[in-house]
Amino acid sequence: MAKIHEITVWTRGVIMDKEGRDIASAFGDAVAMEGKHVQVFDNYEDLPDRVLVTTRKYVRISDEEIEHKYVYTNDHPDVVVVAEPTIVKGINVLKGLKEGGLLIINTNRPIDYMLQFIPNADELGAIATVDADGISGVRTIDFSGSEGGVDAVGVGAGIAAPIVGAMARVTGMAKKENLAKIVKDVAGMERGYNEVKLQKFRKFKSSLGSLQG
Amino acid sequence: MAQEKMLTGCSAAAQALKLAEVEVICSYPIRPYTAIMMELSKMVANGELDAEFVHGEGEHAQLSVVLGASACGARAVTGSAGVGVTYAFELYSPVAGGRYPLQMTIADRTLDPPGDFGSEHTDAMSTRDQGWILGWASTPQEVFDNTLMGYRIGEDPRIMLPQMTCQDGYFISHIPDKVKLADLKQVKEFLPPYSAPHPISTTCPVSHGPQIRPDQGAPMDAQRAATFLDLPKVIKEATEDYNRIFGRNYDPFLEKYKLEDAEIAFFIQGAHSNTCRTAVDTLRKQGLKAGMARPRWVRPWPTREIAEALGHVKAVGSIETSTSYGGAMRGGNLIHELRASLYDLDERPLTTSFMAGLGGETIWPEDFEFMAKVLSQMVREKRAQKYVYWIGFEE
Amino acid sequence: MSKKLPEFGTINVPHERAVPFGAVTPAPVHVQELFMTSNWRIVRPVIDNEKCTRCLTCYIACPDSCWSYNEEEDVMEWNAGFCKGCQICIKQCPSDALTAVPELDFPDGVVRLEKPF
Repeated sequence: MAKIHEITVWTRGVIMDKEGRDIASAFGDAVAMEGKHVQVFDNYEDLPDRVLVTTRKYVRISDEEIEHKYVYTNDHPDVVVVAEPTIVKGINVLKGLKEGGLLIINTNRPIDYMLQFIPNADELGAIATVDADGISGVRTIDFSGSEGGVDAVGVGAGIAAPIVGAMARVTGMAKKENLAKIVKDVAGMERGYNEVKLQKFRKFKSSLGSLQG
Repeated sequence: MAQEKMLTGCSAAAQALKLAEVEVICSYPIRPYTAIMMELSKMVANGELDAEFVHGEGEHAQLSVVLGASACGARAVTGSAGVGVTYAFELYSPVAGGRYPLQMTIADRTLDPPGDFGSEHTDAMSTRDQGWILGWASTPQEVFDNTLMGYRIGEDPRIMLPQMTCQDGYFISHIPDKVKLADLKQVKEFLPPYSAPHPISTTCPVSHGPQIRPDQGAPMDAQRAATFLDLPKVIKEATEDYNRIFGRNYDPFLEKYKLEDAEIAFFIQGAHSNTCRTAVDTLRKQGLKAGMARPRWVRPWPTREIAEALGHVKAVGSIETSTSYGGAMRGGNLIHELRASLYDLDERPLTTSFMAGLGGETIWPEDFEFMAKVLSQMVREKRAQKYVYWIGFEE
Repeated sequence: MSKKLPEFGTINVPHERAVPFGAVTPAPVHVQELFMTSNWRIVRPVIDNEKCTRCLTCYIACPDSCWSYNEEEDVMEWNAGFCKGCQICIKQCPSDALTAVPELDFPDGVVRLEKPF
């Protein structure tokens, strides 16, 4: 079976669901532009549109074709992205994380402050924060996008742009140039890329390609 | 002493429901089952039956009302016919999944278009995968008996499933026949009061039918399937008790008529089995060893009993009073499960099917003679020429 | 009938996976532990007891009955386990006694469920 890198994005129902979906699909598209095989899914179970409920989006990346698409949950993510920081209080977002994995949080709070809510942070290789709300200030909403309907807003017009920029920087999985062809807010994406903060831990490995600080 | 009366199937059903002391009734008119509700409403109006009589605004509402009533712990009944049965379709799976042992009394009617009110089993047959106990009576007497047996089986704490007790429209529902009624004392001995496991109440509030997670769906299905495995045992117990208390002689699953030495057999359910029985006698007088098997329940399907009763027969013809367009045999529904039941036998009978009694048409004695000819030819040639014969449209 | 026919077998649903008939659950008379929703919350309503007039508007406004009146101590009590942070109580309060404060400002109230509800 192909070696697969898994990314799980945590977001919230309705108010940030589109942003979560944009993070997953923009990042997946950018990786695919390098000729990799990519899958992007919503978690169907979480999906029913309930305002504020935690929902998951998944990205899978591989050099070879990925056989499974109906076994769709990311049980062992390499990277966990938390698009709304309060989620770390309500969900064990690191569940199943591969040893030395990465956590990326959209917050303007200091990394040390956030770590008090993550008691299992010793499983992490590194934690990164990006103040996407500060950079973009926009949370696009599209009530019908998840389960059909028209997405007129476009991809990466809100906080998803700085977040995918930050993801590209710390994971090295996608190229900034490719993301620039996908997201609407290119300046926001570049600011996310440049302004992301990273703290490495003992278990840090550079196995995720060219992980940079 | 129990009376004997000339009653139609509709009246027989109403009499049995009265003796079962149903507590909530929900009606909406559609021929030919309407007469059951008319009888019941008279009983309620005359003070003979202490029940809530609710007028639904359609069959979907009818079933919703009795679902709620059953959830509160009431013995509830509703009923319908033809497109009324299909209009209520959304409710069949929640009623069965919620394990509400209410009863739906059906007098079959052909589905639209364009409003043929003759009998055809397709209406209730189309609900057979919804988790209900489903069976057909062949006389007004059996309508009366199945109504009481239905509640006893469905309300059994091991089962808790809704029942659909069916009778052919017009043939059974409207033609009077002798019906032995029963005393309330007998009924009390046979049918204990209904006790809901988690009734809706203000003192101990519960939520019925909440959203469940996908990981709860599979165990719910498996639990229902397990209940259907227990069902034959409960049907057998109930039938034996019924026979003892009321002095009847029902086989729990399969009526076997002159099958012991039969070479050809008809497989038929419902009203036309009466004509079939006399046809078997006529054929026997002509020297042809004919027999008949009649399933009393379609759900649960009597797989093992069919294999045992028909295994030795050389050719079986399933008489279909329902349609399954484009199905495996391009005819009716019964043939699929009949053939499946016989498949594992070392030596199995040849099978074919006859589309007859559709749209409310009578199946004539001559039709059975034609079918017997086909079956005899199959025996001689050791093969079936066709999967299905459309009676009235064959050469 | 010489051959032994196949059996229907048995179906065993383990106790811990079994679901009651109709998935019946005890109604949430006060709290429903099965349906914890506090992790939906981004902001928390914080009450100023000086401004609060005990008018119970918040009690009426809350869709999840998260406000209740403690008669003994004469204060409004907030249910941290179920408040979704919808802020209806804050908008409805006639005496401006309620304020929305980011949940992350508080070290308490950590739930950390294994999966979303």
